[in-house]
Amino acid sequence: MVKKGFEERLPFKRAFLNNKTRNPVLVEELPAEFILTTDARLRSRFPQEQSLFWFREPYATIVLVTCEDLDEFKNILKPRLKLIVQNDEREWFIVFVSKAPAHNDQATKMAKKVYAKLEVDFSSKKRERCCKLDINAPEANFWDDLETKIMECIRNTLDRRIQFYEEEIRKLSEQRFMPVWNFCNFFHPEEVKRYGWYIPLYYAAANLMVEESLAFMFEIAHLHEDALREYDELELCYLETGAQRVCQYGWKAREFGGVEQGDDQATLLEPARKPLTQIVHDDSFREFEFGSIYLPSMLPFCMREVWVITACLALIDATASHYKDGLAAPDVEKEFYRVQGEIYTLCRTKFMRLGYLIGYGSDIERSPVNSASLSMLPWPKPAVWPSLPSNASSEVLAKEKMILQDSPRHKHFGIQRKPLPLEPSVLLREANRRRASLSAGNMSELFDGRPNANDSSGPLSPLPKVNSVSMSRTFSSPGNFEGSIDRPMRLAEIYVAAEHALRNTISDVKLWESLSSIEKFEQKYLDLSKGAANNYHRSWWKRHGVVLDGEIAAVYHKHENYDFAANLYEKVCALYAGEGWENLLAEVLPNLAECQKIQNDQAGYLSSCVRLLSLDKGLFLTKERQAFQSEVVRLAHSEMEHPVPLDVSSLITFSGNQGPLLELCDGDPGTLSVTLWSEFPDDITLESLSLTLTATNNTDEGAKAIKSTEAIVLRPGRNIITLPLPPQKPGSYVLGVLTGQIGQLRFRSHSFSKGGPADSDDFLSYEKPTRPILKVANPRSLVDLAAAVSSALLMNESQWVGIIVRPLNYSLKGAVLHIDAGPGLRIEERHHFEIEKHEVGTQNMTNLDNPPENLSPVSTGVKQLTLEDGKIKLPDWTSNITSVLWIPLRAVSDGLAKGTPAGFKCLRLLRRTIAVHFTDPFHVSIRVADKCNDGTLLLQVKASLAIYDAWLDLQDGFAHAGKGDGRPASSFFPLIVSPKSKAGILFSIYLAEASAKVRFSLFVLYESVFVERQAGLKFVFPIHLTSADEAKELQPVSILNIKYTISGSRNLGAHTPVAEELTGPDNVKAEHLTFRSELVLQRPVLDPCLAVGFLSLPSSGLRVGQLVTMKWRVERLKALEEKVASDNLDEVLYEVNINPENWMIAGRKRGYVSLSTKQGMRFEDRDLNIMPASGCRICPPPQLGLPNVDEANISCNPPGPHLVCVLPPPLSSSYCVPA
Amino acid sequence: MIVCLAVVGHQNNPLYIQSFTEADDALKLHHIVHCSLDVVDERVNNPKKSGPTINEAFLGLLYPTENYKVYGYLTNTKVKFILVTTDLDVRDADVRNFFRRFHAAYVDAVTNPFHVPGKKITSKIFAERVSTMVKSFGLSPAS
Repeated sequence: MVKKGFEERLPFKRAFLNNKTRNPVLVEELPAEFILTTDARLRSRFPQEQSLFWFREPYATIVLVTCEDLDEFKNILKPRLKLIVQNDEREWFIVFVSKAPAHNDQATKMAKKVYAKLEVDFSSKKRERCCKLDINAPEANFWDDLETKIMECIRNTLDRRIQFYEEEIRKLSEQRFMPVWNFCNFFHPEEVKRYGWYIPLYYAAANLMVEESLAFMFEIAHLHEDALREYDELELCYLETGAQRVCQYGWKAREFGGVEQGDDQATLLEPARKPLTQIVHDDSFREFEFGSIYLPSMLPFCMREVWVITACLALIDATASHYKDGLAAPDVEKEFYRVQGEIYTLCRTKFMRLGYLIGYGSDIERSPVNSASLSMLPWPKPAVWPSLPSNASSEVLAKEKMILQDSPRHKHFGIQRKPLPLEPSVLLREANRRRASLSAGNMSELFDGRPNANDSSGPLSPLPKVNSVSMSRTFSSPGNFEGSIDRPMRLAEIYVAAEHALRNTISDVKLWESLSSIEKFEQKYLDLSKGAANNYHRSWWKRHGVVLDGEIAAVYHKHENYDFAANLYEKVCALYAGEGWENLLAEVLPNLAECQKIQNDQAGYLSSCVRLLSLDKGLFLTKERQAFQSEVVRLAHSEMEHPVPLDVSSLITFSGNQGPLLELCDGDPGTLSVTLWSEFPDDITLESLSLTLTATNNTDEGAKAIKSTEAIVLRPGRNIITLPLPPQKPGSYVLGVLTGQIGQLRFRSHSFSKGGPADSDDFLSYEKPTRPILKVANPRSLVDLAAAVSSALLMNESQWVGIIVRPLNYSLKGAVLHIDAGPGLRIEERHHFEIEKHEVGTQNMTNLDNPPENLSPVSTGVKQLTLEDGKIKLPDWTSNITSVLWIPLRAVSDGLAKGTPAGFKCLRLLRRTIAVHFTDPFHVSIRVADKCNDGTLLLQVKASLAIYDAWLDLQDGFAHAGKGDGRPASSFFPLIVSPKSKAGILFSIYLAEASAKVRFSLFVLYESVFVERQAGLKFVFPIHLTSADEAKELQPVSILNIKYTISGSRNLGAHTPVAEELTGPDNVKAEHLTFRSELVLQRPVLDPCLAVGFLSLPSSGLRVGQLVTMKWRVERLKALEEKVASDNLDEVLYEVNINPENWMIAGRKRGYVSLSTKQGMRFEDRDLNIMPASGCRICPPPQLGLPNVDEANISCNPPGPHLVCVLPPPLSSSYCVPA
Repeated sequence: MIVCLAVVGHQNNPLYIQSFTEADDALKLHHIVHCSLDVVDERVNNPKKSGPTINEAFLGLLYPTENYKVYGYLTNTKVKFILVTTDLDVRDADVRNFFRRFHAAYVDAVTNPFHVPGKKITSKIFAERVSTMVKSFGLSPAS
């Protein structure tokens, strides 16, 4: 009756309970159950378990007593009650049931007395522990009273238990966080031995249980929020201790509890439904005997798998629905999702296993992830494998049909791979081995002796190693063992048998439904994969998520949902490619490519093909790689709507050739040779190719591309290509980017190889080439042109002018020399030019006395060249050696030649002016002065001269003494004058008017010259002319004629004129050259009346544009005689004679100076300012002449013509006169 | 029995991966090693989770499943060693010891002047040495 009344009021409404933090929580509904102390569930258990499974203990003990007698109460009831209350740590209270009928006062009174006694004995001031139930006349507030008391008890119990569990958790956690803690070595090995193998298992379970029980306790108490929090902590606990292991042990532990229908469903968190809660309530954990772990045979087929699936699903549902808001801290949240993902994965694995057992294995992608989770997971080990039900033949047929119809999906590109295993071992063998009627021995018979073993292998060829078990897995020839009991089951039969067995195991309708057809299976499989992936994506475990995305993609792929599939595949590929897991990438990438191809995503497909080609060669067969390439080429040559650039950095790499780098001179074109490594399996045609060169010293400037316009066919491996290289700026260059076209597509390659094929794992390092491939030198002279002669050549004679052509570390192949003779020079074009190797020794010829006689112009090693259009093409043999080009040249003018500008052209222009000095053989500088001063005649050439004749054509007023023709005695000739000697010729002359004859003699003076290198031929005129003559007309100058021959090396300078001359009309004469030189013989100042002196110029020198004042001094040496005109006696006319090319005059040029007639009068002209006109030169200064006075009467100081040096103008362009 | 050993570079790229199984299923082991990097990353990025083992190269059990275990080891240069074993009752001390010896072998291999740092380890001697170590690991006194 009490139970009835109690249950009527269930569940308790609006109960206040305390949560973990001692805060009162209002629970709307609290279910409770009334059980008797004799209830089986309260039977005692192992003491060590007791505390752990405390949450299954009753929360309150209600002691129902009835007593109608005080004595009885005193003697019997009271001690018993005391005993109950003292021994029981549980919350308790006493309900006194009064059986006394209402009308029986005596009985009622007695009951009241007993109750009063009871209250005295058991209630305290703090706590009322008694209440009274009158059966016959129930008080209105009894049930409320009872409820309050029960509530109080429950609250107290809960508090105590929370305390206990928290303590327990704390202890366990402390141990768990110890560094080397794990379940296996948690306990000392000795202890393990003592307690047997189950102890670690037990503690694993215990650890889980402690936390779980706390959560569960809250759940029982309907403190849902708190329960949830506890479950979260529980999940964290999984993580820290190895989640799956704990799950495994934990669930394994519970697995043994239930054998009833529905106990396979681990609905952990659904209080409304029976399973775990019920198992607990039923106290079926008492059956959690550790010894029973190895009694799995009792369990239904695949109980464990089914239990895990349902447990996972329940856990997922419950936690996910409560965890939507994301209340936890981010890292806890990540953990939460990670555990969710783990649970999904676990569930997915078990689900796949079930699916496989009933024949959906062909639907499971044989991917690495599935293989990893299934192939290492043992088959279920029922003691006896389920056998085929008798009436299942149609189902078997259907399965066989399914097996036969299922054709393995072919990978794109004809890629063939051994499928990865999904089975730990061959299911057929495993199932048959575990059948009761077959022993293992039969198995060998089974596999051997079947001739058609290999011909019908179905889609589930699980073992890649086809050794002794190369057998038919389907056994689709049913005739063989028909009717025999021992006949091994065929695969289809195994599937059907498993299906039937599972139908018995699985009580969850939904789960069974998702296994009922292949479509449903696929759907569930997809859901689980998505669930796992999504949760992993929100956790730390990104890789897990992405990998599972690949599994989802595979399903989409199969169902021709290529868009989704491609997207997901791309994620997977990006993950693997990003971290260089090429083996895994090679598994997924072909699938992506296939999706892209079907979707007509040409760009994506192309890039996938290129990536496939770039993978390690060992990952694909050559045939497959050729298929990739042919796809690339096909696409490249097709009309792509949107042509895409192609990055082939991993396929075509390039480097400069080994060996020295190419060195070019500024502005030169060249040919660049580059090594290309092709990773394509076949030849590939590149329609065009260009390479950029990047200057290492100048990063601002963009790279320059050099192109090959011709199509290039690259063979696999190493190719050497050459590219024309236009002139580049100076600097050193490295290779930059390779670009080009394959078909319509532009490709690029950044990859620089170090002379070998690119490493397959080069994805990490895009090493820039450091070694320059090309060096363009700064502008410099490439060739040196210099005059070969060191000394002057003969004026007016045809002379060889040598130009030394010296290449400066540069080949002159194909060089052309332009020769442009300067003004006053004429190239003797009739004559051949000559070129020969330049001998350094000739420069230092020491023996100038013995110049090579008969130096033939065309000697060995001398080649003749012809001038064409002013150009001479240099022969190739001269391209690398120093050579001398001899040009026949004649200086035609009387003046000195300045030189020949010779342009030298070798593709580029080098202009060089070569100064060649032409001169007369002798330079006559003669000064006639008093007392036998020298007149000097210098030999101006480095050659030996042979003088054959010399005569003096005298000017008027002079006459030869002696024979009269002015020639010295002919016996002196020929007179050889070597460069090292001086010679003098003496002529004897006299003034024609004077009768006195001056004897002269000719002598030759030999004199060594040590100081001066150049030899001089000196003509010394030791003549003192004592008579004066006024004859000025007719011949104003004397002319010295010298007939000579010259023998000199053309390497040095003057030499015999070019041979042509010798073939002139009169041979004999032509052999002798004639030199004519003017000599001005001055008559001596016989009667000096006036002296003109030139005052010295400023010591700082003269500059062009600078005004200087010239000063002369005029002095009368003796008094004028009376016969001179009376007028202007004291005035002297002067005139300044200047060469207007050199001088400008500011001031009077002509005028009078007054000069007294007395002796000794002086005059200094201060007024004449002159300015050097232009140029830097040495020129005669202005002369002051006195026209009215006879020259014979003027004594000059300095006596002869002299020269002054004029410096160039200062750098400033100013012509201002300094103030 | 050790089924797979891997050296993973600091950019999570495989430097050496060797499976020791009979079957031709290395790819699944690649997958296991690759995915276990998640756990390594998690430990490295959340040092508070690794607790007192922070200064130790041995990362301990990374990845317990029902049928195999994955152990990890992290060198100072952020190179990871991953070991996959099907032995379910391996002592941590044994694994730690194994990793130490493996580390020594690795160091020898990468100090070879012909080895390019960051590139795959192709040394045959290293492979032989590792193979010997793997064989002897099974023979060492088990717990």
